[in-house]
Amino acid sequence: MDSFSIGLSGLDAAQKALDTIGNNIANAATEGYHRQRINLTPGYSSKVGSIILGGGVDIAGVTRMIDHFLEQEMLRQQSSLGQVSQEFATLRTVETAFGELSSGSGLNTAIDEFFNALQDLSAHPAEVIWQSQAVTAAETMANQFRTLGEFLTTLEEQLRLEAENTMEQINTLINGIAELNDNIERIEISGGQANNLRDQRDQCIKELSELINVDTQVKEYGVVNVSVAGTPVVTTATQTELEVGLTADGKLGISVAGVSNYSTDVQSGRLGGLLSLKNEFISGIHSDLDTLASAIIQQINQHHVQGVGSEGSFSQLTGWTNTSGDLSDFSTVSAGYTYIRVTDTSSGAVTRTAIPVLQNASSDTLTEIAGYITSNVANVTATVNSSNQLTITAEAGYEFDFLPAVLPEPTASTLTGASPPTISVSGIYTGTVNDTLKFSVSGAGAVGNGSLQLEVRDGGGAGDVIATLNIGSGYAAGDLLDLGNGIKISLGTGDFGAGDNFDVDAFAGSDTSSVLAAVGINTFFSGSSAINMAVCSDISSTVGRIATSLGADMTDNTNASLMADLKDESLSSLNTMTPVEFYRRLVTDIGQQLYLKNIHQDNIGMISQNLANQQTEISGVNINDEAAQMLVFEQMYQAMAKYMNTVQSSISSLMEII
Amino acid sequence: MSGSLGNIYNNVSFALGLHADALARLQEQVSTGSRINRVSDGPSAAYQILGLNSEERSLGNYLGNLSEVVSNLEHSSVVINDIISSVVETKTQLTQITNGIYNQDGRRMLAEGINDTLEQVVLLANTERLDQYMFGGSNTSSAPYLVERTDGKITGVTYQGSVEGRNIELGPGIQVDAFYVGNNVFSSDRRGDPVFLSDTGAEAGTGTSSVSSFTWLTVTGSVGNYDLSIDGGLTTFNTDGTDTNLAVTHSVTGEVLYIDTTNINSIGDSLVAVPGTHDIFNTLITIRDLLENEKGLSDAQLLDLLRDSFNSLDEINHLLVRTQVSIGSKIGFLDNLEDSLKNLKYNAEDETTRLEEADIAQVAIDISRREVLYQMSLSVAARLMSMSLLDFLE
Repeated sequence: MDSFSIGLSGLDAAQKALDTIGNNIANAATEGYHRQRINLTPGYSSKVGSIILGGGVDIAGVTRMIDHFLEQEMLRQQSSLGQVSQEFATLRTVETAFGELSSGSGLNTAIDEFFNALQDLSAHPAEVIWQSQAVTAAETMANQFRTLGEFLTTLEEQLRLEAENTMEQINTLINGIAELNDNIERIEISGGQANNLRDQRDQCIKELSELINVDTQVKEYGVVNVSVAGTPVVTTATQTELEVGLTADGKLGISVAGVSNYSTDVQSGRLGGLLSLKNEFISGIHSDLDTLASAIIQQINQHHVQGVGSEGSFSQLTGWTNTSGDLSDFSTVSAGYTYIRVTDTSSGAVTRTAIPVLQNASSDTLTEIAGYITSNVANVTATVNSSNQLTITAEAGYEFDFLPAVLPEPTASTLTGASPPTISVSGIYTGTVNDTLKFSVSGAGAVGNGSLQLEVRDGGGAGDVIATLNIGSGYAAGDLLDLGNGIKISLGTGDFGAGDNFDVDAFAGSDTSSVLAAVGINTFFSGSSAINMAVCSDISSTVGRIATSLGADMTDNTNASLMADLKDESLSSLNTMTPVEFYRRLVTDIGQQLYLKNIHQDNIGMISQNLANQQTEISGVNINDEAAQMLVFEQMYQAMAKYMNTVQSSISSLMEII
Repeated sequence: MSGSLGNIYNNVSFALGLHADALARLQEQVSTGSRINRVSDGPSAAYQILGLNSEERSLGNYLGNLSEVVSNLEHSSVVINDIISSVVETKTQLTQITNGIYNQDGRRMLAEGINDTLEQVVLLANTERLDQYMFGGSNTSSAPYLVERTDGKITGVTYQGSVEGRNIELGPGIQVDAFYVGNNVFSSDRRGDPVFLSDTGAEAGTGTSSVSSFTWLTVTGSVGNYDLSIDGGLTTFNTDGTDTNLAVTHSVTGEVLYIDTTNINSIGDSLVAVPGTHDIFNTLITIRDLLENEKGLSDAQLLDLLRDSFNSLDEINHLLVRTQVSIGSKIGFLDNLEDSLKNLKYNAEDETTRLEEADIAQVAIDISRREVLYQMSLSVAARLMSMSLLDFLE
C-alpha cells in the first residue's frame, strides 16, 4: 500500500503548499509580513532487496524568507530616520516662528528698526514724535523677543510632553514584544512554528526602532531579546518599563521606571530626536535668544540710567521688584560707586554724592544703599519695600539725576589770589574711566596778563600732563578753553597766587557698580531675558523720559547717540559680535541645522528605500511568483490524484483477476 | 525575483514623493520669485541677505537723516542770506549818512529803520524749523537769543543756546554738525586789541581785555584823578594817570577792559571797539544808538564813529559770508555723501536681488523636467503593475 501513502503524501504536500501560497497572497499587503515557503523533503524510503524505494514526500516545515542582517540594518536606519525626521520637523517649526526672509518682519528687522529709531532720536532728542517712534520700535522689538521666548518655552514643554507620550508608546511596544516572545516560545518549544507571530513581533520591534535605538539578540525557539538605548527591556518574556524625567541639570533623560537615574544618552529614534531637541537644539536657541535679549537690555539700560530726557531730572524714581535685596545675588552688580546729582531747582546749585556699593559690610544690601542715600545725600531719601523695590525721592524744590556731566565748579581748589577768578567747568568727558583732573597755575597774577599758564594733569595730579593752557596775555576772561577730552573751562577776571590749583572730577560713567541698571532705576527696558523683555512703563507713558542727554544743560544727544551706536558695538557677552550679527548667526545656525537635517533625512530615506527594496526582494510577496508556484502545486495535485487513480485502476484490474 | 510588485510600489511611491517635494519647492520659487524663502533654503546666502537687508535699512536711515540735515542747512543758508542782505542794506544807509546826506532827523528815521532791521535779525536768528531752533547748537528746544528791552527797544541780545553743536551720524563713522551754534555764526572770535574811538587819550593796556564788540568807556574827574567806568558809571575805577594796565570791570557782565591811562588828557565818553569780537546784534544796537545820538555827540564825532562802525559791519559781513561758504561746502560734501550712500544702498539691493532672486528660466526648465519624471514614474508603474501572470491562469 506504499503507492497510496506516496499519493496521499503528495496530495497533502501540494495542498499545504497551496495553503502557504494562499497565505502569502492574502498577506501580500500586510505590513511586516515575510513571505513563507513550504519545505518539502523526500519521504521515508524502504529497501526491497537491493532496490531503495521512495516513500513519497514529507513537509519539513514552512520557512519565513528573512535576512536577519538586513533586518537589523533596517532597524538601525529606521531609528535614525525617526530621529532626523523629528528634529527636522521641529526645527522647521522654529524656523517658521523666527520668520526671517519669509515674513519680512522678523526680529532682525525689529532690532534694526529699534537702533535706527535711536539714531533718528539722536537727531531730534527733544521731539515727542521721535521719542514716540523710539518707544514704539523698542516695544515692537521687545514684543518680538517675548513672542519668540514664549514660543520656545512652549515648544520645550511640548517636547517634554511628546517625549512622555513617546515613552508610553515605547512601553506598550515593549510589553507587546515580551508577550509575543512568550507565545512564540510556547509554540516553538513544542515543535510548532509561529511564523505569523514572529512577523507580528518583528513588526513591533520595527515600530519600536522608529521611536528609539534598538538592539536585538536572537535566542532559541524564536525568542528575540531587545535592548533600547543600552538598557535591556525585553528578556524572553520579561519586560522592563522605562520613564522620562529631568536630570539634575534640567535635561530630559530616560530611566528604568521607578529608578529615576536619568540618562540623556539616547542616540536615535524619535525619542532620541526629542531629547536632542530639548537638551541641545531648542535649549541652545533659547539660551542664545535670551543672551541677546539680556545683552541689549543691559547695554541700553547701562547707558540709559545715567542720562536724562527732555523731561529733565527726577523728583522720584522707583525700581522694579527683586527676589533678593542682597547685592551679591545680582550677577551684574560689582563693587563700585553710584554718583547721584542733586539740583536745587530755585538756585540751580548742584551737588554730587558718591554712594558706595559693595565697598564694605554696610554697602552690600539694597536697604543699606537706601539708608546711605537718606543719610548722606542732602534733600533726597531712599526706601526699600518688602518686594526689594528701591525708591529714591527728592524733597520739594529739589531734583536728582545720575548725569556724568562735570559739575559747573571745581570739586576742590586752593586759590590764594587777592580776588580769585570764578572758574566755570562744562562739557561731557569723553574718557573711558573716571578721573580727577588737577589744574595747577604756573606763575601768579591776573587772568589775561603776563605768562600765566594752567597745567592739567590726570590721575588727580599724579598722572601725565594732558594740556597746558595759556591764561595770561592773549587769553580774555570768559573765553572757553578746550581740554580736548570733552571738558571745557572758562576763567573769569581775577588773580591767581603762586601754586594755586583746583580739581575737576571727570566722569566716564556715573554708575561704576551697575547697581542702577540691576535694580531698575531709570532703566529703559525691564526684564532679563527674551520672555520678559519690555519697555519700562515710565518710558512708555512719558516718552520724554527717554534719556537722550548726558550734558548738564540736558539738551545734547550724547546718550541717544551712545545707545544707537550699540548696534555696531561688538559685545563680549555676545562672543564679540554686534547684536545684529549675533542674531543673524543664531537664525543662520537654525537654517544650517535644518539644511543639514534635510540632507541627512534625504540620505537616510534613500538608504531605507534601497534596504526596503532588498527586503521586499527577499521577504516580499510577488503575486506572479506565487501564481507560478500555484501552477506547479496545482499540477502536482492533479498528477498525484491521477497517480492514485492509476494505482486504484491497477488494483481493480488485479481484483478482477481474482 | 521575489517581491517585484512590492518594489515597484516602493519605488514609485518614493519617486513620487521626491518629485512632489521638488515641484512644491519650484512652485514656491515661481510664486514668490525668490530662490531663498527661508534661511534653510541657503544658509550662507541667507546670512548675507540678512546682513544686506540690515545694511539697506541702515543706509535708508542715514539717507533720511542726511536729507533732513541738508534741508536744515539750506534753511540756515537762506536765513543767513537774509541777514547778509540786511547788513549790506545797513552799510548802504551808513554810507549815505557818512556822506552827509542825512541830517539829525534823517538819522533818527534811519535809526528806526536799523531798529527794525535789528528786530528782523533777532527774529531770523531765532528761526524755528519743524519745532527745532536753527541756531541754538544742540539746544534746539528753546530760542537761542534772549532780548532785553528798554522802552520797547532792544538794548541787549544774549545768547542762551548751547555752545556745543549737534552731531548727527550720517554714515558709518561720519558725524555732521547739523545745527549751528549762534555765537559762532553771528559773533566773531578773532579778538584783536581794543581800539579807542575818541580823543580822551585812553589806550589799550597790556592785559587781554574780555570786553567785546563795542563798549562805552566813561572818563570823568580831572588830571591826576580820573574815574573810569565801562558800565555807565555804576562802578568806577580811579587812576592818577600813571596806570599802564588798569583793569576796568563791568559790574553786571564781569567783562574787563585793560587801559593804559598814562595818556588820558580829557574826560568824556569813548567808544571802544574790539576788532574780531563784533556780533551783529551789538553792532546794530550801537549804530542805532549812535544815530539816535542820545549821548549828544557832535556831528563830526558822530560821523567818525559811524565810519569806524563800518569796519564792524564788514567784519560781520565777512563772518556771515564765511559761514555761508561753510554751509555751501558742507552741503556739497553731503551731496557727495548722499550719492555714495545711495550707491551703497543700490549695491546692497543689487547684491540682495542676486542672492535671493530665482532664475525663472531655470525654474521653468526644472519644473518641466520634474513634470516629465513624475509622469514617467506613474506611467512606468502603471505599465509594470498591469502585467500579471494571473491574467494567463484559467
